[in-house]
Formats: sequence, structure tokens, C-alpha cells
Amino acid sequence: MRWLRFAIGLLIALTLHSLLDSFYPNALAFFDPYIILAIYYSMGGNVLGAIIAGVTAGLVQDAFSGAIFGLHAFSLTVCAYIVAYINSRLVLRGTLAFGACLAGAILVNELVIYILVNILLKQRIEMFEQGMLVKTIFTTLFGMLVYQLLTLFLREEPVDATKRSGGW
Amino acid sequence: MAAEVIPRRPTLLLIVVLSVLFILMSLSSRTRYIGETRTLAERSVMTVFSPVPKVVNLIGGTASDMYHGYLDMRRAVNENLQLNRKVATLTAENLKLRQTESDLRRIRGLLGYSEQISMQTSLGHAVMLDTSGRFKSLIIDRGSDDGVTVNDAIVNANGLIGRVILTTKDMAKIQLVTDANCSVGSLIERTRRQGVLRGDGTNAAALHDIPTLADVKPGDRVLTAGIDGIYPKGIPIGAVVKADQGPNLFKNITVRPSVDFGTIEEVIIIHTRKIPDPVVRYAP
Repeated sequence: MRWLRFAIGLLIALTLHSLLDSFYPNALAFFDPYIILAIYYSMGGNVLGAIIAGVTAGLVQDAFSGAIFGLHAFSLTVCAYIVAYINSRLVLRGTLAFGACLAGAILVNELVIYILVNILLKQRIEMFEQGMLVKTIFTTLFGMLVYQLLTLFLREEPVDATKRSGGW
Repeated sequence: MAAEVIPRRPTLLLIVVLSVLFILMSLSSRTRYIGETRTLAERSVMTVFSPVPKVVNLIGGTASDMYHGYLDMRRAVNENLQLNRKVATLTAENLKLRQTESDLRRIRGLLGYSEQISMQTSLGHAVMLDTSGRFKSLIIDRGSDDGVTVNDAIVNANGLIGRVILTTKDMAKIQLVTDANCSVGSLIERTRRQGVLRGDGTNAAALHDIPTLADVKPGDRVLTAGIDGIYPKGIPIGAVVKADQGPNLFKNITVRPSVDFGTIEEVIIIHTRKIPDPVVRYAP
């Protein structure tokens, strides 16, 4: 069931990616649906699940963007691992906690990408700080909205639905 | 056994995964410089997930086309509405111009004709026309205030219409030549034979007092003779359509008026010189 949810989430993220790419190409610089998915599944505290979610979502994102293949997979895996690790130690529940984790993860994600691009391509990312700030704000707000909607419609804490035994 | 080990050592798993990803990235970044921009792994992921962007593009493209089609349709409807309004305005304007042109042509004809008349003339407009009964009459918008008097001759560019039989300050009543009580001193233009033209109460007139021996043929033009003290000489009245031998000494001649009374709009009023009453009533 959780695999199915993740697959549906991934398809939705890819659909959003395609839609924005088609109609508002610049919007993808300020909004990242894949990280919402990866962090959502990392909030359950399942480290292994978080790594798989990060790798899968990242590879799909890399395949359909102009980045080096594996770049987002790497950064998302790092973020997902950190969030899952924290959640395996602490009990973080609710929209605000999810928002805080997501915002932190986005910052880490952007920093990792920045470093990797510097190392592998010897390039600097233009307007990195501004882009990171805007992406953090928009993606966090959208992620919190999604989390709130899921809480309403799933009749249980979404994070718990990704944490049951037998998953991943 | 391995499945149980891996979750207990997540950091090790993370390091392995990240190392693999780093190698993948290195390969990918290197292939960018030798022409082949997509690695096998990248192509595989793309192949698996490619239906999603395709479907999204298809749906998005269709929705966009529909939306733009709708916008274009709305624009076309508005444009059509504006064009229809414009067509209506231009049609009205065109009709007005045509009417003006027609009026101008008619009035030019009238003025040209009135210049040929040596007497004083003025222009009037028909306001009422009655040609349905036995008494054929026309009312014009000029009266005694405009100098119109009884027995003034009324013509238009086609010929004689009739004479004034009644005036008010601003209107005058005209007896048409087709009225049964109207008589006009006339002559046949070709032979100069004189007679009296009387309306027959329909839309034609009869030429009386032409002897059976006179030379009259259908098509002969009939003019005013200028001998009745009302109508000036030489105004066209009409053309002979029938000239039969009568039962007595005179011919039965039917004349079709040259004026189409159903189309009268403007008229020329000829202020004729009236014969004084003592002269008319003088009896030696």
C-alpha cells in the first residue's frame, strides 16, 4: 500500500514537473515537488524507506531535467536520510513540524547541489542564495498545504501511514 | 538475513548508495563532453516514466487548444458583432447617400428644365397625392405665401402635371391632367393640329376636337398649345397611344401622360401670367 502511495505520489510529482515545464518553465526554479514527496516519506523515521524514496524520486527528477544524472538523487537521498534519522529519534508530528523539516531539507538539498555542481562541473550557480530562499518558501508552503490536505482526507496522520511495520 | 542487516546499518547503506550515485554522476558529467549526453541508467528511467510527460503534454496541449479555441471563438463572436453593427451603420449610410444622389439627380433635372422656362418658377415638394378616385389631385408644400396662385401650371422634368386649383398660406392643391374635370389646350407636335385634352378619370387622357381627317398616329407627342390662358406653350403632356375614327366628325384619341404620377416628389411651379377677368369676361 505504501509502495502504491509512493508510486502515485511520484507520478503526481512528475505530472506537476511536466505541467510546469510546459506552461511555466521558470516556475521549476522556485518549486520542487520531488523533495516534498521524499521528505513526506522520510517523516516516518524509516531510514531504509527514506533512502529508497530519495534515490527513486531523485533519479526521476534527474531523468526529466537537464541536470547531471544522479545529482538530485544524491542530494535528495542525503536530505531524506537526515530527516528520517531525526524522526527515528524524535517524535515530530503535525503540519508545522513537517514544514520545518521540509524547509531544512530544501536548504540542505540546495547546498549539496551547489557543492556537487562546483566539484563535478566547476561551475557556479547564478543567484544561488535568492533562488534557494524563494524555493524554500514556495516549496515549504505548498508542502504544508499538501500535508494538511492529506491529514484531512486520509483520516490519520499521513506520517503514520508511511511508518507501519512491513513497509519498505 | 541481509534484509535484517541492512536496516541496522543504514549509514553504511547510505554511503554505498551515495557512492554509486556519485559514480553515476561522474559518468554522466563525463559523457556530456564526448557527445553522448544520456547514460544507460538515465535512458532506462526516462523510458519507464516517459508516458507521464507524454500524457501530460497531450492533455495540456488539448486543454490549451480548447482554451485558446474558446478565446478565439469569443473574439470572433465579438468581432462579428462589431462588424454586424458596422455593416448596419454603413448600410444605413449607403442608403442615405443613394437617396441623396437620387434626389440630386432628380433636382438637377428639374432645375435644368426650369431654366428652359422663361417665366418665373419656384420649386415645391409633393406632400399628398390622390390618384385613386375620379378626381386626381396633388397637394404641394408651397402656398400663397410663396407666391403660388390659382391656375399656376405645375410641371416636372417629364412634362405637365396639372394646375393649381386651391391655395392656402403654405399649401396648394393641384388638379392633375388626368382628372376628369381638367381641360388643356393641346397640339400634336408633328402636325401642329390643336385640340383639347381632357382627363378620363383613369390614368390617361383623351384628346378631343381633332377632325377625322387630321393626321394623328400613335406615338405622336402632345404638347400644351398655350391657348387656354393657363398653361404656357410647348410643355410636353404625353404621347398618343390610340387614334381611332370616331362615330362623328372627330377622332377618338387616347393620350398616355408623360408624367408618372405615382413617382412625383418635386415639382416646378410656373407662375404664369394671368389673363385679367375683364378680358376673360369681355363679350362684344
